[in-house]
Amino acid sequence: MARNSSVLSETKCLICGHDNEPDMLLCASCYAPMSIVQDARAQEREPKIVSVIGESNVGKTVYLGFLLDMLAHRAGAFEAIPKGAYSVDLQQNVIGHLARRSFPPKTPMEANQWYWAYYQVRREEADAPWVDLVMPDMAGESLAAEVSTPKTFRVIHSLLNKSKGLLLLVDAAAAANGSNQPDFFAMKMLSYVDSMFGGKHEEKIETPVSIVLCKADYCPECFDDPRSFVKANLNRVWNLCESRFANVEFFAASVVGSLGYATSLEDDTVAPVPLHTALRGVLEPFEWIIDQL
Amino acid sequence: MALQLFSKKPVEPKVRPRPRPRLAEPDAFIPADRIELQADPLHQAMQLERYAYLIINRSEFKEHPDVDKLCLQACERIDDSFALVPEGFATIPRTLHDSPGAEEDTFETTPFLLGKHCVTNAQYQKFVEAGGYEQLELWPKELWPHLIDFKDLTECPGPRYWRHGRPSKKLMDHPVVGVCQFEAAAYARWAGFRLPTEAEWQMAATWRIRSVANTMRRYPWGDALDINRCNIWATGQGRTVPVDEYQPGAAPNGVLQLIGNVWEWTASDFEVTDHTGGPVVGDMHMATIRGGAYDTYFQMQATSVFRTGLVSLARAHNVGFRLAWNLRGN
Repeated sequence: MARNSSVLSETKCLICGHDNEPDMLLCASCYAPMSIVQDARAQEREPKIVSVIGESNVGKTVYLGFLLDMLAHRAGAFEAIPKGAYSVDLQQNVIGHLARRSFPPKTPMEANQWYWAYYQVRREEADAPWVDLVMPDMAGESLAAEVSTPKTFRVIHSLLNKSKGLLLLVDAAAAANGSNQPDFFAMKMLSYVDSMFGGKHEEKIETPVSIVLCKADYCPECFDDPRSFVKANLNRVWNLCESRFANVEFFAASVVGSLGYATSLEDDTVAPVPLHTALRGVLEPFEWIIDQL
Repeated sequence: MALQLFSKKPVEPKVRPRPRPRLAEPDAFIPADRIELQADPLHQAMQLERYAYLIINRSEFKEHPDVDKLCLQACERIDDSFALVPEGFATIPRTLHDSPGAEEDTFETTPFLLGKHCVTNAQYQKFVEAGGYEQLELWPKELWPHLIDFKDLTECPGPRYWRHGRPSKKLMDHPVVGVCQFEAAAYARWAGFRLPTEAEWQMAATWRIRSVANTMRRYPWGDALDINRCNIWATGQGRTVPVDEYQPGAAPNGVLQLIGNVWEWTASDFEVTDHTGGPVVGDMHMATIRGGAYDTYFQMQATSVFRTGLVSLARAHNVGFRLAWNLRGN
């Protein structure tokens, strides 16, 4: 980890490296908040990026929001400190919506409207080192667009290129229902990462990847044995991981305890309603990633 | 120099051994001992804790020399393990968001007996070993095709998280979970009891008795949340606890753990609308569950009045049930 403040230029974006004007709030190139740079400068070290990725509607925002909120509650083996008020916005948005039994709105495709979280995290042990983490809430559509046409979204390309760990969220409920879509999307995502990090194919990629089976309350067998579930229901991903990734682990997670559907009498739309929350498996994939860093 | 293209050793991939995840090892599953059922039907009913069944069907055993003694014992056991819920009221909102002025229904509840504890794994094991899953008269006819799905992790009839038809020996006094509403109702029917209705459950938790004061409690112990009185996410247990823990969280009549530990199935359908009056439905039929569980994150979702639903065929890790009985028998 760089400890020299000179490497952290006042205007150089930490994500894409673009040299910005001093008064910019967002990077002119990738729209990452420049406050991350200022906070990193104050720490005199460059933060590590952990990316939560997955297709649209898989639950990245909800997962990340609850993860940050649980860290703020010191729920697991870690303590966490948000750097800057902007880091709290995501969890506040998610918690506010779920407490009112609604889902947060979809993350916009435009990077300048994303939530970014910058946290300092460490194990609650004496002398445990602090790890500075930047975790953006990326839009699933933007990820899909970048994966199919690399460098369309420069910020995503830069983020994933700099990521020290990846949490790949997969819709386990859809996979259990026989849909191939989660398998294909996850495969595309890993293939993209492979092409980005992978040089010679003799070497596997060392970047730790947590594959998180989301919405696992719909298929409790995910919790019994996530590995077997992936092998059986997401076999393409399983094989790709076996071939190309040296450091992969599989997890199951769920946030919503029960889902209802509200049919509005005003406009005839049907909206999913999270009737209550029941958190399972949210912290474990994150803790595993941090231990690998 | 000879061409050595094909004499080269194959390239060995440089693969580091995969680091093992640092995950907590799951508790080793030690199955509970099998139950040796007594041959005599009357004594077997006592052994299986079918107290209400025994009292209701007393006439079937009238020739038995021990019938009076055992019926008296059954009454004493019910006295010990059930508490009287006096007559009262339950006001249940019709809409999802119980905002002031929202439509609601008020139900009057008559006095009834409510189990002080949720049904435990030990109690439910008696039902399983006595062949409860094979007694079709305990199950609604329309459910018979689903009975084959009510299997444990080893494909034996029983709750979702058991193995070989038996619970973990360590969890005998924990509430049984992994049972759907129909399994809960079948157990209750087999034992001679029933599930409480949603209104009865709420009455027991809010203690809104018929009185001049007309008060209702947000929690069985009072109006303020106290995480030392219940097992919810904020308590930090992260798992179920034995049904007799959290004594300070008891309702005035001694009923324990109405809040937290596990959600509780009720006999009532979950019917609710959104703010436009449109119905909120599930993928399948939903029943009402109440009380919150050990993994309930939002404290406002673990109160005496918060209502939610779950697909009645769901066999969730955090939903159990308790029994009810009419004062004059069911």
